[in-house]
Amino acid sequence: MSEPAIVVRGLRKSFGPKEAVAGIDLEIAAGSFAGLVGPNGAGKTTSLSMMTGMLRPDMGQVLINGIDVWADPVAAKAVIGVVPAESRLFERLSGEELLEYAGRLRGLPAGEARSRSAQLLDVLDLTADAKRLVADYSTGMRRKAALGCAIIHNPAVLFLDEPLEGVDPVSADVIRRLLTRYVSSGSTVLFSSHVMELVEQVCDHVSIIDKGRIVATGTTDEVRGGKTLHQAFIDLVGSRANDGEGLSWLGSSSS
Amino acid sequence: MAWLLVQLKLRLLRNGLRSSAQAKAGFIISSVIAGILAIGTFAGLAALRGNDASVDLTTVVYTVLALGWLVLPLMTFGLDGTLDPATLALYPLRTRPLAVGLLAASATGAWPLANVIGLLGVTIGLARGPLGLLIAVLAVLIEVMFCITLTRFVTTWLAGLLRSRRGKDLAAFMIIPIFILYETFVQVVPKLTASGKLTAHSFTGIDSWLRWIPPGLAAHAIQDASTGRAGTALLRLALLAAVTVVLGWLWITSLDRALVTADDSTRTSAVHGTALRFGRYGLRGTVAARFWLYQRRDPTGLITWVLTAVIMVVAAVSTITKPHYMVGLMISAIFGSAFAGVYRANSIGNTGPAFGLEAAALAGRRALRAYFTGQDIVVGGMAVTLLTVISFALAAVAKHPVDGFLAMAVDVAGTGAALALANMFAVAAPYPAERRVGSPTLRPAEGYRGPAMGSALGTLAGTAIAVIPVLVGVLLTSGDPAAIRMPVLVLCAGAYGIGLAWAGVSIAAGIGAQRLPEITEIAVRSKL
Repeated sequence: MSEPAIVVRGLRKSFGPKEAVAGIDLEIAAGSFAGLVGPNGAGKTTSLSMMTGMLRPDMGQVLINGIDVWADPVAAKAVIGVVPAESRLFERLSGEELLEYAGRLRGLPAGEARSRSAQLLDVLDLTADAKRLVADYSTGMRRKAALGCAIIHNPAVLFLDEPLEGVDPVSADVIRRLLTRYVSSGSTVLFSSHVMELVEQVCDHVSIIDKGRIVATGTTDEVRGGKTLHQAFIDLVGSRANDGEGLSWLGSSSS
Repeated sequence: MAWLLVQLKLRLLRNGLRSSAQAKAGFIISSVIAGILAIGTFAGLAALRGNDASVDLTTVVYTVLALGWLVLPLMTFGLDGTLDPATLALYPLRTRPLAVGLLAASATGAWPLANVIGLLGVTIGLARGPLGLLIAVLAVLIEVMFCITLTRFVTTWLAGLLRSRRGKDLAAFMIIPIFILYETFVQVVPKLTASGKLTAHSFTGIDSWLRWIPPGLAAHAIQDASTGRAGTALLRLALLAAVTVVLGWLWITSLDRALVTADDSTRTSAVHGTALRFGRYGLRGTVAARFWLYQRRDPTGLITWVLTAVIMVVAAVSTITKPHYMVGLMISAIFGSAFAGVYRANSIGNTGPAFGLEAAALAGRRALRAYFTGQDIVVGGMAVTLLTVISFALAAVAKHPVDGFLAMAVDVAGTGAALALANMFAVAAPYPAERRVGSPTLRPAEGYRGPAMGSALGTLAGTAIAVIPVLVGVLLTSGDPAAIRMPVLVLCAGAYGIGLAWAGVSIAAGIGAQRLPEITEIAVRSKL
C-alpha cells in the first residue's frame, strides 16, 4: 500500500455545548480518490476545514504528506488545494483574473500563472466567459472556477466540500473528468458529498461520518459490503423515514 | 386580493418585529421617525399660513416627498416582499386585482400614513374657506396616490434590474446624493439660516417650473381653490389625477411584463484587460493588483471614497472662508485621513468568504506582511491623492492655496496612521459584515455593533492623536519662510506616515499569523 497522503488522529471540535467532531481517525493513501459521506450536520465540513488548516481543532493531529498542518501551516498549505462548500471567490474579478490571482497567491510567476489560468479555463469550458465577472457566473461556473483556483498550483492533495452541489450534469462531468485525471497522476482527492451514486462511481476509498464520528471507513467495496453504497449508508446512519401520513388530501383523487 | 396583500404586508411588518431585538429596535425607530416626519411636515406646512411664499414652499415640500417616494424604495428594494412582483409570479393571479392589491399594500404602513398626515398641514397653511379645505384634502389624497403609483411603476419597471448585480450596484450609488443632502441639511442649512442667508423668501419663484410637475399641481390647486378660482383648481386636480391614472396604466403594463420576464442578471458585461497588474512585484504586487481592481469595480469602495470627500468638505465648510480657515483645513485633513482608515478597519471581515481563498494560500508573518503592504499601497495611494486634491481645493477656496501643503502634511501622516490602525483592528477585532439587499454599505452582523463601533472610534481617535506631532510642527514653523517650511513639513510628515503604516503592517502581520484560522472563520461568516 502507498504511503498515506492524509492522516487524521483524534480530531475533535466543539461549538459551545455541541460536539461537531467527536474524535475522528482517518488514513487516506496517496493516489486515492476518497469520499467522505454523511448526513447533514454530521461534521463533514468541520472535519475538512480542520484538515485544511482553516479551522483550529480543539484536539487532534492532521498530517498531509507527513507535514503537520497545525504545527507547520505554511508548508502544509503549499501542498494542498481546497474547494470549500460555499464558493469563496472574488466576485469583482473576471474568471481569468481570479485564476491568475489564485496562482500568484500560491507563488507562481506571473507568466506561469497566466498560462495555467488559460489552460484551466479551457479544460473547465470557461474560456468563453473568461472576461466576465465572477459575480455574473452561474452556480456550475462558480464551482468550476473554484476548482481551477484550488488546483492551479498543482497540489499533492485536493480537498473538496460538496463539489457538485447545485452543478448541472454537463459541468459535473467536466469536474469529474478533471478530478479523475488528477488522481490518475498520483495525486490525492478527498471530497465530501451527499450523492452516493457519484461516490460509488468515482471513489476507491469511502468514509462514512455520522454525529461527528467515523462509523465506517475502507475501500468502497468493503464499506458497501455487497449492497449499494446508498443502502449501506442508510443501514449505518439509520433511516429517518416519514411517509407523510396525515396528508390525506394530497394526490389527484382528492380536492 | 387587495385585503390579502394588505394582510401580507401587515404580517411582514409584524414578523419583522418578532425576528430580533435589532429588528424590533429598527421598526420602533422607523415608526418614531415616521411620526416625527408626520408631525414636522404638518407643523411646517401649517406654519406657512400668511407667508407670501407659502405656495412656493408647499410645492417644494410636496416635490421633496415625491422624490423620497421615488428614491427610497430603490434603495430598500428587497426589504418589502410585496414590492417585488416576482414573489407573486408563481400564483394564478390576474393583473388588475393584483395591481389593486399591490397598491393597497403600498398604502399600508406607518410611512404612507405619516405622509398623509404630514401633507394635510396644507389645510391650515395654504387652504382658505370650505372649498379650499375640500380641494386640499382631495389634493393630498391624489398626491399620495400619485407618489405610490410612481414608486410602484419605477420599482416594477426596474424590478428585473434591481434583482441583478448591476442594478444593485447602481442603486448603491444613490447613497451619495442622499448623504450630501443629509450633510447639507444638518451642517449647512442651520448655519445659512442662522446667518440670515436662507429665509422663506429664498424659495420665491422656485415654483415657476415646479408648478407644472404633479406635486406643484396639487399645491397650486389648493391655492386656486382658496382664492376663488374653483375651475382652475379642479382642472389642476384633474390633470394630477390623469397623470396618476397614466402612471397606473404604465405600471400595470410593466407589471404584466415583469411577471413573465427574466431578470437582467444574465445580461453581463465583459471586463477589459488580460492580466493582473504589478506581476513582477511578488505577493505584495499581486495583492495590490486585486485591491486596485476592487477599488475600481466594487461600488462600496468607490462610495466610501466619495463619502470621505464629502466629510472633508463638510468639516471645513463653516470656517474655510473666514480668517481662522486653518482650523477647518486641518480638521478636514484629520477627518479625511481618519475615515480612509475607518472604512477599512474591518478589511478582512469586509472581504467576506473570499478571504478563505487568500487564507488557503497565505500563511506566516511574511506572507501577511506582503498582504497588508499590497493593500496599503493601493488604499494609501488613493487616499493621499484624493485628500491632497481636496485639501488644495479647500485652501484655494480660502484664498491661501499654498497652505494646501500644510494640510497635505496632515493628510499623509494621518493616512499612514489610519491605515496602521485599520490593519491592526482588521486582525485584532475583525467582525462578520453583512449587506442588506439594496443597501450600499456594509454593516456589522448582528451582535457585532460593539466591535465595529470600537474599531471606528479607535481609528478616529488614534489618527487624531497620531497627527499631533505634525500639527505641532505646523504651529512651530509658522514664522519660517514657506519655501523651506512647506517641503520640509510634507517630507517629514510623509516619512512619519510611512513609518506608522509600516509599523502597523508589522504588528498586524504578527497578530494575523497567530490568529489566521479564527480571522478566516469570521470572514467566512460575512454575508455579502
